Amino acid sequence: MYSYRVSGLEVASEVDLPGLIPGDPGGPPDVTIRRAAVPMTLDGASAIGPTWQRADGRFLMHVPHVARFLLEGGHSIAFEAEDDAELQDVAVFLSGSVFGVLLHQRNHIVLHASAVLVGGKAVLFCGQSGAGKSTLAAALGEQGYSLIADDQCAIEIGNDGIPRIQADGRQLRLWEKSINELGLDDRRGDPMRNRLRKFYVEPVAATNAAVPIGAVYALLEIRGQQLPDIEQPNVVDATRLLVANAYRPLLVHRLDQREIYFRAAAALAATSGIFRLKRQFEFDEIPATIAMLRTHWADIGLGDAAP
Amino acid sequence: MIPTIWLASYPKSGNTWFRILVANLWSNSDVPIDINLIDSTDSIASARNPFDQQTLIDSSLMTNEEIDRLRPATYAYAASGETLADPDDPCFPVRFVKAHDAYTLTDSGEPIMAGARGAAGAILFVRDPRDVAPSFAHHMHCSIDQAISRMGDADFCFASASDRLDRQFRQRLLGWSGFARSWLDQRDVPVHLIRYEDMLADTAATVLAALRFAGAEPDQTRLDRAIAFASIDELQRQEAESGFREAPRKARTFFRRGIAGGWRDDLTHGQIAQIERDHSAMMDRLGYSRSAALTEKK
Repeated sequence: MYSYRVSGLEVASEVDLPGLIPGDPGGPPDVTIRRAAVPMTLDGASAIGPTWQRADGRFLMHVPHVARFLLEGGHSIAFEAEDDAELQDVAVFLSGSVFGVLLHQRNHIVLHASAVLVGGKAVLFCGQSGAGKSTLAAALGEQGYSLIADDQCAIEIGNDGIPRIQADGRQLRLWEKSINELGLDDRRGDPMRNRLRKFYVEPVAATNAAVPIGAVYALLEIRGQQLPDIEQPNVVDATRLLVANAYRPLLVHRLDQREIYFRAAAALAATSGIFRLKRQFEFDEIPATIAMLRTHWADIGLGDAAP
Repeated sequence: MIPTIWLASYPKSGNTWFRILVANLWSNSDVPIDINLIDSTDSIASARNPFDQQTLIDSSLMTNEEIDRLRPATYAYAASGETLADPDDPCFPVRFVKAHDAYTLTDSGEPIMAGARGAAGAILFVRDPRDVAPSFAHHMHCSIDQAISRMGDADFCFASASDRLDRQFRQRLLGWSGFARSWLDQRDVPVHLIRYEDMLADTAATVLAALRFAGAEPDQTRLDRAIAFASIDELQRQEAESGFREAPRKARTFFRRGIAGGWRDDLTHGQIAQIERDHSAMMDRLGYSRSAALTEKK
């Protein structure tokens, strides 16, 4: 068995999952991943989507020609490869999409976000695929800000009322164009799948501890005459923003989890802040975006904004 | 359940104009709707995020072919009303979805747009290719000759780069003629054809006929107001003020002129002849008279 630590959970897996941080092989796992026969359909499914079915505590996911995945009770994942899919192909969906659904299944607050360490706190950048989360985290990494998470951020509210994220220590996952534009060729690792030009990239530094959250930014793209800006929405809009930036908002609604996101938004508003980061999308605008962020970090008291 | 209707078009043919007009028609506001908040129509069919949300799969890790195989299931799922906040209480009488995809099949022979499972019908917008060319060039920030070459290239696709992630999936356009042919000749869903020039000449009658095809009967006063609120002046005013998020990043403006017949000033004789050679059959079929014989002699 391979051991990993994913979003604070100990994971025991029968297969190698590239890009994850090693876990503690001695302890009892929170989640077990094993190869097994997985049905095509679930008996008594209460909801059926184009690629998934849900019945009680079970979730069936299907990536056609790659694998079927059965998630049970938030603590076990069985997978069955389809056709002649390679394990590498199965692994990228396991550690990404499937684990994200498992976190939702466990009632975690999980955001579609990257995160870096700023003055001892976590700064999150939320957005859909293609919004520039990983690229911004990588660019900040070059400025000395350690990577905490690349794609999924699981938030926990401690008994002290302070929201923290569990370090995900994953490697960055960047497209070739981003790697070239940011000059990271020397740290480029394997392609995530043999047929994709998306690669694992070793971050300059990464952190493994749970970190209190310093700020949450929703990435927004501006066009034309609009000026870059950082805005703080009112608490109602901030709550909507948080649900909209859940890893899978559909599951927040389907699993009736809006309440826990509302509570998280309130805790974040009280301790750190939820903001909209409006900026031009182009690579040559990244230095200006980082400068704007540094000023904002100084304003909101994230140290002197040094890494 | 409300019907889904594709708004299918080769780019720069009046699709967005129609969507903004409909958004104003169904808005209760007494000022024009914000062009960046058109929530009465779904985002474009090729948008990545709705796919990821519905399938729960990270499409950035899938190949174009893997994505194409799953697109029909997501369109059928959305058309069944499952993605609406409340399927029993839809906000609008028709679910219009824009598409720049030609009507093509997956590698297993299934229509990517999911045939009759994906929509109850399609409104196909066409525009004189000689007017499309300069507008398309402006849109893609390329020369008119390049635009003409892409319009004549059956293999030209949108969002086909493999070294980065686009917010949209790869879209096969099949060239200007191939696009219209693919939609007109498929037999899975009924098609209502709109010529951009007719929509300009008699907006009310053209839009009314299209809405009736979609099963909606608008109030005449509201329709007149919506037409005024979606005038080219208003669209340009809003774009100048706050940009248009659906515009390509490089394009200077999205709403350029909104006229018909501008090609007579915009194109050289050679460009006119090239377009008419590339698209003669479809131009004849759609009623765009050609002048090539004349210009080639000159």
